[in-house]
Amino acid sequence: MHRTLLLLVAGVSLAFGVDWFLGEFIEEYVVRIINLCGIAIILAVSLNVINGLCGQFSLGHAGFMAIGAYVSAYFTTTLRVLNTETGETVVRSPLFDGAWGFVPALLIGGMAAAAAGLVVGVPTLRLKGDYLAIATLGFGEIVIIMLTNFESVGAARGLPGLPNYASSFWILTFAWICVVSSVFLQRSTFGRALIAIRENELAAEVMGIRVARLKVMAFIYGAFFAGLAGGLLGHLLRTISPSTFGFMKSIEVVVMLVLGGLGSLTGAIVGAIVLTVLPEALRDVEQQAKLPGIRMVVYALVLILLMIFRPQGIFGQRELSLKLLRRLLPGGRK
Amino acid sequence: MRKALILAIAATALAFTAIGCKDKGNEAGGSGATEDTVKLGLFVSTTGEIATFGGDTKNGAELAVEEINKAGGIKGKTIDLRFYDTASKAEEAGNVATKLATQDKVLVAMGAVASGLSLAAAPVFEQNGVPMVSPSSTNPTVTQQGKNIFRICFLDDFQGGACAVFAYKELGKRKAAIIRNQDDAYSTGLADYFRLKFKALGGEIVADESYKKGTKEFASQITNVKAKEPDIIFLPCYYNDVALLSQQIRGQGIGDDVPMLGGDGWESANLIPNSKGALEGSYFGNHYSPEDPSEHVQAFVKGYKAKYNTAPSSLAALGYDVVYVVKKAIEDAGEFDRAKVRDALAALKDFKGVTGTFSIDENRDARKPISILKVQGDKFLPVKQIQPQDVK
Repeated sequence: MHRTLLLLVAGVSLAFGVDWFLGEFIEEYVVRIINLCGIAIILAVSLNVINGLCGQFSLGHAGFMAIGAYVSAYFTTTLRVLNTETGETVVRSPLFDGAWGFVPALLIGGMAAAAAGLVVGVPTLRLKGDYLAIATLGFGEIVIIMLTNFESVGAARGLPGLPNYASSFWILTFAWICVVSSVFLQRSTFGRALIAIRENELAAEVMGIRVARLKVMAFIYGAFFAGLAGGLLGHLLRTISPSTFGFMKSIEVVVMLVLGGLGSLTGAIVGAIVLTVLPEALRDVEQQAKLPGIRMVVYALVLILLMIFRPQGIFGQRELSLKLLRRLLPGGRK
Repeated sequence: MRKALILAIAATALAFTAIGCKDKGNEAGGSGATEDTVKLGLFVSTTGEIATFGGDTKNGAELAVEEINKAGGIKGKTIDLRFYDTASKAEEAGNVATKLATQDKVLVAMGAVASGLSLAAAPVFEQNGVPMVSPSSTNPTVTQQGKNIFRICFLDDFQGGACAVFAYKELGKRKAAIIRNQDDAYSTGLADYFRLKFKALGGEIVADESYKKGTKEFASQITNVKAKEPDIIFLPCYYNDVALLSQQIRGQGIGDDVPMLGGDGWESANLIPNSKGALEGSYFGNHYSPEDPSEHVQAFVKGYKAKYNTAPSSLAALGYDVVYVVKKAIEDAGEFDRAKVRDALAALKDFKGVTGTFSIDENRDARKPISILKVQGDKFLPVKQIQPQDVK
């Protein structure tokens, strides 16, 4: 407990320092990409618990993001609803006023996503492999269709005018919390049990692991952080629409995991960073080469080559730890 | 060993700082102009779901830039057009906006086509005080994002309202049916405003049916519509849906005396061939007509055909106009200064573009007429212009 608190304080003060540093010295464009990296890290690391550790192939992450984004925006944003019979616009001021409402709104968004995770997880986690993937894909689509028809949050038009609350500080703080809690989780009995389920579900059950229950818990954990990330992304973009959270978004997160190495926390972080930075970094290449569209070609090519030459991802299931670093650095013990 | 680790971390940090360090010296003067060039930004999607729209807009804008540079530029400075693709994604629109505003330091930014992308870019430009002019985002909330955000196309409410006025006053129709795509913001927006205006004029909406994105078979909707005996059918959808809908509507025996009516989503070279004659005698509202005999429009159509070997769409025309609007604003402002250009944009009056003569109103939206075109043979013929004051 003592150590957890210390880590939290360290993380928050680090985020505070980095936030100040970024605001003071670094170009806004780079800061924005760092912020997007932070959000991608939360997404990838949380999905890693479901897909990587527990071995359940979920394609519903964007659905949880959408729930988190819309629920948190519902509390922080001025809503305008057009009455199609009278032509009047009904305006509702934000329920949580000011920046202090942001974190509660985010947490409510995360919890709503977690609740959805519970509701979806209980029936679908009986399914395995491809079947689960299809079921979670279906869940994501249901969320999008429902949002497209909710007039109070703008329906298909989306919800613009979210306040500018998602600073680097909050994004990095939550990314830190997500990563640290995942490290703990991975090393805990719970995490070990999840790995056992991944390796052999039957054997795990025989060993007395409550498979169904643990799977649902992993799902809820992932959904909670996906909801948080959705809320952060919404307040960074400052406009959300159902199409932002389409199933391609889920695929993007899965690709991050596969690129980094499914089951590796370090891999998830590296995958998230690489796939967020790469398309932006290639923008300048495209400009220089005067080849419009080459950006997406290179992006795809990187993925294809990696899958051919390193199908297990950059890290495989290994982690980057101080021990490994020591071994790799010159002069280290072999 | 530990030293090596620290060194490595320090080196990465340093490299990072070097890449992204703020260029403090240039910040105050960052108005996008050097001695002989002026930097303008363009951001549209040339990849992803809506790539064709972005591609046309980009072509139109590049044609205008080429013409202006050939004629001596803006106040003697050639245009340095910075173009970035937004890949039909809101995240990328925000990134590109940040890059244009803070790294390239453009004087004015032009884009995006889709409202969802404009909405993601607008807060960034507003925060950095960069005027942004959207060629074709029709969602009313786009320009509400701040005093630097403009647009040069008409809005969904005007378009829907104008269609209602045309149906009621020009065609003398009293019983309208609507078939809308419920998953599409554009479609539901047009349908809502058509409905409001048509009822306000005294007409009756006898049926308001909706379908889901990707529907190919509209039998149930059309049966419901047919039972109510409308005298006009409003189809606020994109051309691919319209082509199918129109054939099935005629196929179910709703006769030619019940014309169909729609918005600018109908415009496509594929509309007439795909609908196999079912749309003959139907109408739709559009930004302009390439058949317009005016000299200005014909010169643009000719120039565009010469460069790209295809007829310009409305989006190409709007992309062309947006560059000239920006040019006019810079000339009116008299200086290469963002705030002054913003004020000049806000005060723009009676600008003569290929998409009509328009002014910017107090909401930073364009007040411009809509051209109602009639489908006749293999052509879209202009039949009527509806002015903003006719709809209010």
